Amino acid sequence: MTVFGPLGPSLANYVRSSKTLHRWLKPVSLWYANLAGYRRMGLKYDDLLVEERFDVQKALGRLNAREAYDRAFRIKRASHASVVHADLPKDEWVSASEDKRYLKPHVLEVVNEDLERQKWDNLTVSRHR
Amino acid sequence: MLRASTTTVRNSTRLARSFATVVDSASGVKVAAIDNGQPTSAVTFLVKAGSRFENKPGVAHALKNFAFKSTNTRSALGTVRESELYGGVLTSSLSREHLALTAEFLRGDEEYFVDVLASFITGARLPRHELNELVLPLVEADSVAASNDPTTKALEAAHTIAFRHGLGASLFATQHPSFTIDDIKTFATSAFSSGNIAVLGTGIDQAKLSKLVEKFLGKIPSSSSAATPSTKYYGGETRVESTNPLQTVFIGFGTTGAPSNDLAALASHVAPEPHVKWSKGISPISEATPSGTTVQTVYLPYSDATLFGVLIQGENAADTKTAAQAVVKVLKSQVSETDAKKAVAKAKFRAASEADSRDGVVSLLGNKVFAGADASIETTLSSFDAVTPSSISSAASKLLKTKPTYVVVGDITALPYADEVGL
Repeated sequence: MTVFGPLGPSLANYVRSSKTLHRWLKPVSLWYANLAGYRRMGLKYDDLLVEERFDVQKALGRLNAREAYDRAFRIKRASHASVVHADLPKDEWVSASEDKRYLKPHVLEVVNEDLERQKWDNLTVSRHR
Repeated sequence: MLRASTTTVRNSTRLARSFATVVDSASGVKVAAIDNGQPTSAVTFLVKAGSRFENKPGVAHALKNFAFKSTNTRSALGTVRESELYGGVLTSSLSREHLALTAEFLRGDEEYFVDVLASFITGARLPRHELNELVLPLVEADSVAASNDPTTKALEAAHTIAFRHGLGASLFATQHPSFTIDDIKTFATSAFSSGNIAVLGTGIDQAKLSKLVEKFLGKIPSSSSAATPSTKYYGGETRVESTNPLQTVFIGFGTTGAPSNDLAALASHVAPEPHVKWSKGISPISEATPSGTTVQTVYLPYSDATLFGVLIQGENAADTKTAAQAVVKVLKSQVSETDAKKAVAKAKFRAASEADSRDGVVSLLGNKVFAGADASIETTLSSFDAVTPSSISSAASKLLKTKPTYVVVGDITALPYADEVGL
């Protein structure tokens, strides 16, 4: 289990559940996401997920054809932007509304399947009659 | 001594209950159960989701392999592991008319297993990734195995040219199927409704089974039974190239309408299987059949049609041709009084011994349970008493007037054409 990064433990749900915290921290998160600069390279947040893991690899296999193609295109475009040391033209930036977590639900699904397998593998059985 | 006598008494009371009464449960699902006192129970959910009902080729095959995958109550892994803990066996099988979901288990575990079967009917999730990761590899393996088996290949081709649509649809998806998960979902929603489901139990009490079905299938959408255009018989000839060393010839005839016992008796009359081991048998077919060549009869009754035929398989085309000619000669000859009596007894024994096995009970009574008819094994067997030599002869002559279904699989340059075997 990762400690840091998009797959690690997160306080996001706690923040979302509190109205005050949410109101205070939302602008900070928007500022941070823009500052991180990945949107200027035409990437979505889920494109940054560490993909050299079995569960993320499996989740990537579960994207539909359109999502998989778009992801490959964004990464290719961003690699090119990196090579030429320039951001993309502004009309190609990813807006906050487009920055959807398209991969995370699949990753969570795979993680839950792995946890369930662990549960069944380490089960102690007692039968009630 | 005393113990022995009490067991006999107990067994006899149990044996008395060897028929199934079809009961419509409140949800509209038909329930029938037979309890012969076996140590294990089995419950089969019979769904009218066979290949004749499918909306796109291969969808029924995919749905069969989707059985026991994730549902709203359990994941695919959970279903398997939990059933292992109970020591049960889950199987799904597909015929041209029905998808059969079966659970076999120890007495006492019926509540869990009926729940497993019912949860696939009421809450199958059918996610796209399971189709790609779990189901399509199974579908492909089934299809590859079927395409390498000359018997299956011959029967598939025979169904297609005999019935064309409906019953003619293949049981197997092609190796690169064109259906999507949405096709499977549409098919499943239309099939999983009350009029299309019958529940058959063996080794389980009728009342108990009805109660469980009520509990787990209570909220199923109601519908009338799925209907397809009634089957028409066409017939014809087809030749399929195959590199399998077994040379196969199938000579078949089809009839439409409810299957008759005359044909079952005719099938037993033609069947050349010996009655004792290591003997060739006394039928004229087995005398004319060269060694290394096998002849078996195929009798496939469906709800509104029957495919009757003979499958001849040999190591070389010449031997197969000789055997096929002998078969046609027997089919065209008159059935004598003694032969007819033998054939009826044999057919009755076949049906009775089929009823001994669980799969046999399902295939024997499945259509009757759907029709709501008297689904007892006794009436099924006693109906053979109406078969007479003249009825067998007239059934045979009626068959021979129709266009035969003739299929060869193997070396198509050497295997005989229909007119060469006397058809």
